[in-house]
Amino acid sequence: MSFLAPLFLLGGLAVGLPILFHLIRRTTREQKVFSSLMFLSPSPPRLTRRSRIEHLLLLLLRCIVIGLLAFGFARPFLKQAMTAPLDSARKRILLLIDTSASMRRANLWPDARSKAETILRNIAPADQVALFTFDRQLKTLFTFDQWNAAPLGERAARLSQRLAEVSPGWGATQLGSALVQAAETLADAGGKKSAERGRIELITDLQEGSHLEQLQGYEWPKGVEVSINLLKPRGVSNASLQLVSDSEESDLKSSASIRIRVANGAGAKSEQFKVGWALPNQAAFAGKPLEVYVPAGQSRVLPLPVSSNGALDSVLLQGDDEPFDNMVFASPPEAVNLNVIYLGNDTEGDPKQALYFLRRAFQQTRHQAIRVTAHRPGELLPAGEVQSSSLFVIAAPLSNESVAALREQAIGGKTLLVMLGAPTIQPTLSRLLEVDGLRFEEVRPPTYAMLGEIDFRHPIFAPFSDSRFSDFTKIHFWRYCRLDSAGIPRARVLARFDSGDPAIIEVPFGAGRVLVLSSGWQPDSSQLALSSKFVPLMYAILENSGAAAPLPAQYHIGDVVSLGALVGTASPRTVRLPGGEPLALVHTATNFSRTDVPGVYTLVSDTSEKKFVVNLDPAESRITPVALDELDRLGVPAVRTIDTRGIQDQRRLRLQNRELESRQKLWRWFIAGTLAVLLIESWLAGRTARRVLTPAKALPT
Amino acid sequence: MIAGQKFSNSSFIDPKVLMSIRNLELRARVVVEGFWNGIHRSPYHGFSAEFTEYRQYTPDDDPRHLDWRVFARSDRYFIKKFEDETNLRCHLLTDQSRSMTYGSIGYTKAQYASTLAATLAYFLYLQGDAVGLLTFDEQIREYLPARHRTGHLRHLMLALEKPATGQATDIGAPLKRIVEIVRKRGLIIFISDFLAPLDRLDQNLSALAACGHEVLVLQVLDPAELNFAFKNPAMFQDVESGRLLFIDPGAARQEYLRKLEAHRAALRTSCQRLGISWQTLATDRPLELTLFDFLRERSERRNRGQHFSRPRHSQGRVFS
Repeated sequence: MSFLAPLFLLGGLAVGLPILFHLIRRTTREQKVFSSLMFLSPSPPRLTRRSRIEHLLLLLLRCIVIGLLAFGFARPFLKQAMTAPLDSARKRILLLIDTSASMRRANLWPDARSKAETILRNIAPADQVALFTFDRQLKTLFTFDQWNAAPLGERAARLSQRLAEVSPGWGATQLGSALVQAAETLADAGGKKSAERGRIELITDLQEGSHLEQLQGYEWPKGVEVSINLLKPRGVSNASLQLVSDSEESDLKSSASIRIRVANGAGAKSEQFKVGWALPNQAAFAGKPLEVYVPAGQSRVLPLPVSSNGALDSVLLQGDDEPFDNMVFASPPEAVNLNVIYLGNDTEGDPKQALYFLRRAFQQTRHQAIRVTAHRPGELLPAGEVQSSSLFVIAAPLSNESVAALREQAIGGKTLLVMLGAPTIQPTLSRLLEVDGLRFEEVRPPTYAMLGEIDFRHPIFAPFSDSRFSDFTKIHFWRYCRLDSAGIPRARVLARFDSGDPAIIEVPFGAGRVLVLSSGWQPDSSQLALSSKFVPLMYAILENSGAAAPLPAQYHIGDVVSLGALVGTASPRTVRLPGGEPLALVHTATNFSRTDVPGVYTLVSDTSEKKFVVNLDPAESRITPVALDELDRLGVPAVRTIDTRGIQDQRRLRLQNRELESRQKLWRWFIAGTLAVLLIESWLAGRTARRVLTPAKALPT
Repeated sequence: MIAGQKFSNSSFIDPKVLMSIRNLELRARVVVEGFWNGIHRSPYHGFSAEFTEYRQYTPDDDPRHLDWRVFARSDRYFIKKFEDETNLRCHLLTDQSRSMTYGSIGYTKAQYASTLAATLAYFLYLQGDAVGLLTFDEQIREYLPARHRTGHLRHLMLALEKPATGQATDIGAPLKRIVEIVRKRGLIIFISDFLAPLDRLDQNLSALAACGHEVLVLQVLDPAELNFAFKNPAMFQDVESGRLLFIDPGAARQEYLRKLEAHRAALRTSCQRLGISWQTLATDRPLELTLFDFLRERSERRNRGQHFSRPRHSQGRVFS
């Protein structure tokens, strides 16, 4: 027999009361007449000796009454095998296991597996289970269909076998999106039978950097509940290492060092750390490490001198409990060399001519070394120089051979910028665009012209699309060449003057393009070169020309690396992974997405090798557990389960018990028994009282 | 102790048997007859309540009182000095308050006291003494002056048989009253349980003694009152006031006995100081013994020849 409210059994202790009352000598109703009370004083009731308990049967009945009442209130029921209703509601259980980098901490993964095993042991035979893991993305390991397809006895074994193959990776934790996807999966799997309930068994360390943002505003599907199996890490102190990305403008001289940010966790006990370059593939310092003091919950940024030989590419942190985030990779910064070829008759250093401004527009930065080479129109261009250039600026009439060569370059994917500084360039342009009878005339507006209509959707003008930068009215044009854009096939006007004449025309050419600027930027033609818009415009044109963009200092685990940005138009062949093994790429690949291990990757192409580093997401180092209330706040119907078999099961059990109890209603019998015994007790007490009173009356007075 | 058992083997009449006789006069007669029957074995001979005095005739004496028979024998005039004077005038003061209605052995203290009074009255009447009666509770109920005439005894018995109705006991009032009424010296027998405050008893008793009366105090108590041999706790009701008290006899006995003894000691002290005879009588005590003690007491007193001599025994006696 079990009890729904066993605390009421404590009421049974009240059995002591009738015993006590029986031990107390009755303040009897019996009266004795006495001649005078002048020598008597009232005496208090006192306990009789134990051996003198009177009316044993009465006492027994009273004790039984109290016992029965206590039992009745404790709501007893008989345990039976739980039948139909609850069992028929078969559940779909989705095991969602965190495999992010923070799960690499000492005991977490074995704990997670044992919790999963416990859940598997406790499922009902009718339940369906699926196994999903997540870090940055949700991964399906074992679907409901696979569960259903497996033989009845082997389902759990197959699932745990799949689980045994998994181990935590290096990814960041996108718990929000994982939960949303899992809930969607469950809701979809439930189909139209909404009565079927689903439960997500989430096994995670629920760290602070879990990215729950995606849950915001998500309407949680009905009938899907989340049971959180929180993993308790042993260590509490964690310090993390982070590579601070340098900006483009940073001083060239500072490239001798990199900046490292050391952040210490809020609850950390250790505050003294060592940071330094590590020996390759070892957790040992190559030289003397820097001592750094970081109080708990704070962070420090410190410069770390780049090692002289440049062979070291990982920085190590020592002094905290959790080693998983103690190494960061940093490849020495490598500048990208770019060429811009200027074809014109300009004199070097003449501030009235276009070349002067072009040279100054392209400054050398830490990550980009842009070289502007000027050539006379008749000169023969060096093949290597042409190869490494992606932008050609044509400011003077060219010979037919030169035009043909440049056309080929444009078709190959490069950009030709034709500046119509003077009408003499008209034949060159006609040949370049292969348009006969291109109407061309120089216009000198009475005052000045300005750009009246700009297509900000085009990549060249996209940087200016914000209203703060979109004002081009300060740029005055004194003269320009009027070009009939309608006569040029596939031409697209990117900007027009206020008179309606095209100012910038783009003509696609194979993989590349020809840009026609109908005015010069030198001061005698316009104020373009003197305006603040000139440099960004030139860079936009250069970037749009397919030139290699500056490398990001680092990628994070799971980031997709754009190959084009790394090597430009050169097609890469293989990627050398951090372990050293090569990974062949398909010829058409433009992206590389297998950045799943932190380390230095090398992109090997025909001509060059490019290194890029992949580091751990810094959010993964924030391992303080999130308060469970946070999930509630986000609308997740979370059930707190400290132990897998804990509250969730208890609640279910309680529900079952309540149902059993309400069906059996044993308490009624106890109450009925109480009433019956009370009746007997009353009758007996009445009889006893009469018997006591009768001799009292017989006393003569 | 159960009352009456102690005397079951003696030659005395068991009071319980005696009390089963309805008629009070008959009861008194049984006691006195039995007493007289046994008296010949008694060492006390020739008792008299009073003696007669002769004195020589002097002029102015009433010639009616001349004893002619003495004159015939001795040829001298002797006066038989006031025969009625010389006879004992006895007043019985009987308590008829409610507290006297208590009895634990089949009859009440009042019944016992009445029988005792009736016995004494009958005895004295037979001796030719004048017997009066005063019954009281919180006030005087009945008063019969001391007389010796036919029918007086019957009146006396009737008065004694009246049931006790008084709510309280006022010991002082009858004493005061008797002092007022009875001018001539005599014997005053005061029968009560004295279960009342004794504050002014001393004063009234001394007034009585000062009048030259011979006073005998008889305290009648039930055996249950004397030893408080109750077992079960109960609500005890005061028979006079009706007050209820929860009493556990086991716990209260010691204190009760102590207080009762103190009360009796106070009464005894008062009596001894005034030279008054005093006895405590348990209601299971045979009445003959009391009668016997009464006579012995008087004999001793007469031998001592004075009314106000100190009693020989310094301790009060309880005849139980």
